[in-house]
Formats: sequence, structure tokens, C-alpha cells
Amino acid sequence: MTYHFRQALLAMRGNLTATLGTLTTMTLTLLMLGGVLLLTLNVNRTLEGLESQVEVAAFLEGDADGAALLEQVRAFPGVREARLVSREDVLAEMTRDYPSTAEAVSLVGNPFPDTLRLRVGRVEDSRPVAAALARLPGVEDVEYGAGYVDQAVRTLTTVRAAGYGLVALLFAGTLLSILNAVRVAMYARRREISVMRLLGATRGFIRTPHVIEGVLLGLLSSALALAVLVPGYLALAERVAAFAPVFPVVRDLGALWLPLGAVAGLGILTGLAGSLLATRRYLRELE
Amino acid sequence: MIVFRNVSLAYPASGALALDDLSVRIHKGEFVYLVGHSGAGKSSFMNLVLKRALPTRGEIQVAGEPLARYRGRRTALLRRRIGTVFQDNLLLEHLSAYDNVAFALRVTGVPGREWPARVGTALRTVGLEARAHARPVQLSQGEQQRVAIARAIVSDPPLLLADEPTGNLDPDHAREVLRVLQHVNLRGTTVVFATHARDLVDTFRHRTLTLRQGRLVRDDPAGGYAL
Repeated sequence: MTYHFRQALLAMRGNLTATLGTLTTMTLTLLMLGGVLLLTLNVNRTLEGLESQVEVAAFLEGDADGAALLEQVRAFPGVREARLVSREDVLAEMTRDYPSTAEAVSLVGNPFPDTLRLRVGRVEDSRPVAAALARLPGVEDVEYGAGYVDQAVRTLTTVRAAGYGLVALLFAGTLLSILNAVRVAMYARRREISVMRLLGATRGFIRTPHVIEGVLLGLLSSALALAVLVPGYLALAERVAAFAPVFPVVRDLGALWLPLGAVAGLGILTGLAGSLLATRRYLRELE
Repeated sequence: MIVFRNVSLAYPASGALALDDLSVRIHKGEFVYLVGHSGAGKSSFMNLVLKRALPTRGEIQVAGEPLARYRGRRTALLRRRIGTVFQDNLLLEHLSAYDNVAFALRVTGVPGREWPARVGTALRTVGLEARAHARPVQLSQGEQQRVAIARAIVSDPPLLLADEPTGNLDPDHAREVLRVLQHVNLRGTTVVFATHARDLVDTFRHRTLTLRQGRLVRDDPAGGYAL
């Protein structure tokens, strides 16, 4: 193994330009991936916050059977929790929150209808649940935080998808870069490889230094990416927390471990996969 | 040791025959010259035995086993049983003579503790024990070719293929190389020596197979160059 490791280091040093090119591409890709993963983590945290707050309210007609409707809506898919609030309870709530309501009520009576209040499992369920509620006989009107919830979900999902798309493209570029680096290294060793084949070396033996080269490139890129990503993210998160506390920025290392581990893992995996693919392909070319 | 039965090999690009219906049997322990002009099919013969090319037709056996059975990893194992020496000695410039010979042991997974004794024996056989630490550029062409022979025999293969090993050498160095190969043959290794050097074949007589345009035109047990 020492021989293979030394050969890998020699190949990397011998083809310094290709090695540095691959290292740079790979580090930038992993940085981008790390950024998207951390963004996703925060987006998910924000969506969870929104989900816990989103409520769908159905205002019932005066003669509607609230209890029967409550049973019906509890069976709706996506509904996590449902309760019936009587018009008296609604009035009490409103009077508590807005004391001036009492004056209006003394003039026109209780204007509030019996109300079904529902919480959904996922924020995306708000719209279909509201639509189903609106179709029920006895329901006069339905309200939910459609405006801001839909907009927020759409924007965050688009940002996330665009990020993943970009990372996928960058990974394709990284793979090509690894293929090129290994090809250059194998081409430089073509005489040695040809001698090895004649002497009875197995394909595995010939491929091993180049596979190690790929894994080392992955490892180095991951280390570089994490060395930039971790302090950069923590500094940014601290600033956001200080200046815009409304955003629930993730700062606990327990939650950060997964995306950062994914960056390291994917870096090594990409190096391994790229070099395996390249050695398999170019060894055939050299034979 | 080597059996060719009605073997033909066509060049993929042109379809022209490099070997044409060749049938020959080389026995264990023999020293055989393979002679013929350039393009006669000598290298094609070697490439087929090494499984660097596949016959278009016919059957080849090496050490009693059809070559068709050697696939994947077994091809590597087959090559470990065949020493090879070429006109281009294929020595690695950055390695000493010792390391070049040890390279054959390294790539076949022989433990490092066995290298000194085995490499020493191989270098002694070719008379280069004293030049073990010289790099190829510090050696004469004849010495380089002897290092290549040492590398070919260090694994004690039962068969040694030498394809024009004296092609780049002056007559004295060529005879030196041939003497080494004869010595290797006397230890029991089957040697197939492809050459178009008439003086060598006439001086050191062995069974001689003459190829012309891919066909075996003469199989002379007494030897001698007849083209």
C-alpha cells in the first residue's frame, strides 16, 4: 500500500496543473453544495416554523351542524388537529385581543359565526384543505394564510431546487475534471503501465494509485471546503441572529453535523467514483 | 509448452493476414528461433501467446491450457508465467537495475523480504550483479537488455519470449545477450527467440521456425537461417 500511496503522490506532483485544477473545481463545488445544504437546513427550519403557525379557519353558516362538520374535517388527509370554536368563544377572544370589539357588539350584536379551526401537517396542505372545506355544505367562508404561506413556500422551494440544479452541474464538471486529471496521470505512466501489464500485474494493481489519487483529491477538497464553510457560516449565522432575530438560523452543531458530513462524504465519494470510472476507461485505451 | 493449431490473425484495419493457418508445437525446455523478414508474423506470434491479440481463427494452447480459458484476472496470471524481452527493453528510466528487476516481483505481489535473494540471483545470471545500482542511462545497450532479461526471469517463468532482443545491439552485445538466453534455457526455461539476425542463428544452432507472410515455410530441427 505504501508503494501505491507513493505512486499516487508522485502522480499528483508530476501533474501539478491538472491536480490544482481539479482541486479548485472540486473545492468550489463542495463549497456551493455546502452552501445549498445549509440553506436547505435553514429553509426547512423556517418552513417548520410556518407550519406550526398556519391555521385554516372555516366560518360556518348560522344553521350548520358544527359538531358533524368537525367529525368530517378531522377525517381530511393532511389535517393534524381540528376544533370547533363557538361564536361566543370567538367573541370572547376578539374582545380580549381587541377591547374595542365590545362597543361594536353592543350596537350590532355578536357578528361572529361558529368557526372550525384546523392545523395542517405540512404547510403545502393548507391550500387543498381549505379548498375541501369550502366545498362542504354549511361552510360560508374559509380563510388561511394563503398569501404569504404560498409565496414563501414557492420562493423557498425554487431557491432550493435551483441550488441543487447548480450543484448537480458543478458535480458533473468536477467528475470531468477528475477524469481528465487521472487520464493525464495514466498517460504519463503509460510506459510503466505497459510494463506492468506484460509482467502480469492485475488491473486492480495498476488502478490502485490512481484511485488513491482520486480519493486524496476528494479528501483535500472536502477539508478545504469545510475549512472555509464552517467558520464562514457560523460568522454569518451570528450576524443574522443579531440583526434579524426573526429568522430561525440554525447554529447548533448537532443539526449542522449532517450537511457538513455530507459535504465531506460527497467529496470523497466523488473522488473515488471519478477515479474508478477514469481508470476503468483509460486502462482499456492504453491496452 | 506452446501449441498453435491452424491459427490465423487478421489485421483489424485492413483484414490482411498477419498469420495464416499456422500450426506449430514448441516443447517444454526447447530453444527455438523464430525467423523471418519484417512483417513475417514473428511479433504477431508473440502477441498471441501473450494474449495481447486474439486469433481470428484456430486454437492456441500454452502450458497445456487453451488461451481462450484465460480471461480477466487469469490473463494477468498467464503473463506471470511468461518472461518477455523486447527490442525496446522497456526499462523504467527512474529505477536502478535492481529496482527494475524487483519491479516484476512488486507488481505480482511477491513479499519484499524475498526480493534481495531473487533479484540478486537474476542479476548474477545475466552477469550484472556489480551494476545493480546503476540506472539504465548508465548502462550500455547490451547491459540494459541483460537487465531486461533479468527482469523477465526473476519470477522463474517456464517460458521466455524474446522478440528481436538484439535488434538495437552491435554484434558483440547481441552475442552476449544470446549467451545469457542460452544459459537461461539450460536452467530449464523454454525460450522462443524472434530475430532476423542471420549470424546469430547460424552461430548458435537451435530449432528454427521460418515465417514468410504469416505462413510457416520451414521448421528445421537442426537450425540455420534459410530465407
